[in-house]
Amino acid sequence: MAGHRPHPYPDAIAPDSRLHPEPPPPPPGVKLPIPPLATPLASLAAKDFGSSVPPKPEFWAWLAATTAGWAAFAVALLAVSWVLYFIVWLFKTIFQDRPNLAGGLGEAIGNIVALILVLIMVTATLLTMAERKWSALMQDRVGPNRARLPIPGLSERPLKGIPHILADVLKMLFKEDFIPEGATRNKFLFNLAPLLAFAPAFCLFAVVPVGPEVTFLGKRIALQVARVDWGILYVFALASLAVFGTALAGWTSNNKLALLGGLRASAQLVSYEVTLGLTLVGTFIVFGTLRLESMVAQQGPSEAMLLSAMRTGGSADGTLVFGWLPGWGALFQPLGMVLFLVAAMAEIKRAPFDTPEGESEIIGYFLEYSGLKSGLFLIAEFAEVVVVAGIVTAIFLGGYHIPWFEPQLARALGIPGLAVVQVFTFLVKMLLLIWVQMLARWAFPRFRFDQIMRLGWKMMLPVSLANVVLTAGVWLWAGREGVAWMGILEWAALLGFIALSAGAKESAEPGSHTSTAAAH
Amino acid sequence: MAQTPDTTAHDERRSPGPESDLSFGERFYLREAIKGMGVVARHFWRNLFGFRDPNPEVMERRGPGVNLVSTISYPEERKPYPPGYRGMHRLTIRPDGRPRCVACYMCATACPAQCIYIEAGEYDDQAIEKYPVRFEIDELRCIVCGFCVEACPKDAIRMDTGTHAPSVLSRPLAVFDKEALLKGPPIEHPSDVLTYRVPLRTVAPPDEDRGTSE
Repeated sequence: MAGHRPHPYPDAIAPDSRLHPEPPPPPPGVKLPIPPLATPLASLAAKDFGSSVPPKPEFWAWLAATTAGWAAFAVALLAVSWVLYFIVWLFKTIFQDRPNLAGGLGEAIGNIVALILVLIMVTATLLTMAERKWSALMQDRVGPNRARLPIPGLSERPLKGIPHILADVLKMLFKEDFIPEGATRNKFLFNLAPLLAFAPAFCLFAVVPVGPEVTFLGKRIALQVARVDWGILYVFALASLAVFGTALAGWTSNNKLALLGGLRASAQLVSYEVTLGLTLVGTFIVFGTLRLESMVAQQGPSEAMLLSAMRTGGSADGTLVFGWLPGWGALFQPLGMVLFLVAAMAEIKRAPFDTPEGESEIIGYFLEYSGLKSGLFLIAEFAEVVVVAGIVTAIFLGGYHIPWFEPQLARALGIPGLAVVQVFTFLVKMLLLIWVQMLARWAFPRFRFDQIMRLGWKMMLPVSLANVVLTAGVWLWAGREGVAWMGILEWAALLGFIALSAGAKESAEPGSHTSTAAAH
Repeated sequence: MAQTPDTTAHDERRSPGPESDLSFGERFYLREAIKGMGVVARHFWRNLFGFRDPNPEVMERRGPGVNLVSTISYPEERKPYPPGYRGMHRLTIRPDGRPRCVACYMCATACPAQCIYIEAGEYDDQAIEKYPVRFEIDELRCIVCGFCVEACPKDAIRMDTGTHAPSVLSRPLAVFDKEALLKGPPIEHPSDVLTYRVPLRTVAPPDEDRGTSE
């Protein structure tokens, strides 16, 4: 505390008195009878004496700090990208010397460690904090900033709320693991439910390709756990397994509200799985494969193309549609992308589809869980957010591909360097989609359950079916470029509808119902 | 012609149905959804990149690049209380460092909560005869009515610290003694001339004494 401030309003009470800025020296020979502010109690009182306001930051200092902060963030993401490859390389090197093990085992274990344990776990953990901080920013609040690290030099700094993660984890670890009386009859299933909700969320990421297959430090490695023919079907299968966790949790809790949440979750998950699968059929038609890594590979130049571009010095990219548009899934299937994102958000029970939780009405299927089991449900939800962002990135947003500049970057950085930058690109796209999901959470009110069902069965299912039929017909009739034209038309129709209906709204005649409602 | 009902006006009694006041674009939901996300995103980016303006007057936080957060982080940042706010007590000090209080018990008598305890002592002095040996205020009993300030004839007790009594960890800590209450810059008053201009332990000449006191 900065010590004494001058009294803010001294003359308001005693207008006749005058203040001495400095006390005049006492007359000689006079001993001051009272040393001011000597006791511990007095220092306690002095601590709260007056108000203190920190100074407003200087613009240039703020600009420098902001730029430095974002640059540090980008460098950290790049380092993470390199570290992901390095972990896989390390495991492959370790396992290669063991003659009894297959060569692919080290790479697979390395990928499990790098992607699922490091990437998903760390991102999901950070998301617990990011959700609170971002929602605060969206609602003009400050957000949690009270937890401090007991480290000298850092003990007075909020550190953007990061210490709260540690506090939350410790809180969950040391909370009582309480099992309600009604749940003791099915204790095994009660304990199994969080695991069943948690495990599929983590396994889902196994087929998402984070980085291309390159020769990194002399080893041929790819950043993907499992490269299987049935890639996206694996996602659908495991996503529908998640319903067991929620339904079991709702039932074994032996609680009316938890059962209601479990019921809602089961119905919602089963309903939206249909749409979830059908929305991707269009992309299967366009890319002709179920493997996520070959879907991503078709959205940008392959390694062979890059190598030939490096040899010849050309910068032509043969995968660009019409020679200039990056052939992302979003170009071919805009309707599919929007529908898939919405259906996936319903599938992972995020707002505005969070009636199974509905913390303000029923607490939800995890009502009776406490401590780390409750934490498992929460972290599973955040892991699913990351997985949805990863899958949408891979299928619709070009995966790790950087549009237009990959040949130039390959010449400048080499193929492994480009791969690291590509992983960085994937992470940035993934973060952006996570942010979009958070944005949707705080922009929309929660749907009613009948509205969710109506949206799923009567709107999204027919539209996704129409999308499948339309894409198949256009594909047979006009091929890849025809589907691209269809996608461009869909984008134009969407943006045009938004622009036109917004304009029509403003030009409505005054006094009509519409403008009266708008004025309110 | 009497008033004709305006059929185009909005009827408050009509129950809002899906076809009541919504245009097609609004009922289609997608445009409104994107607009809503735009509003939220605008707030997000403005608050993410904006200045943190610590001005305690929240409504004055304006200007380019200032974010929309209107929080005052309390223990670190404090909004000054308005003029006339009856805050925590303090005992004022004479310019020579002694308390202005003359231990007349008027504040303790006026106090409806009986939270002031005074023990008087005597100076060996003709100008000021008494002083408080102990002056304690129990801030837990105090009802912050300000009667003590009104009652004081010497401007010795004030409630102008601009803060409230601090929170304490045990009840005895809320009893503030004289050392804790004596703070702030010294205060002199025109009526104080006798009491501190004249050196202590000296008797002023009778003429001068009469002249100044009239």
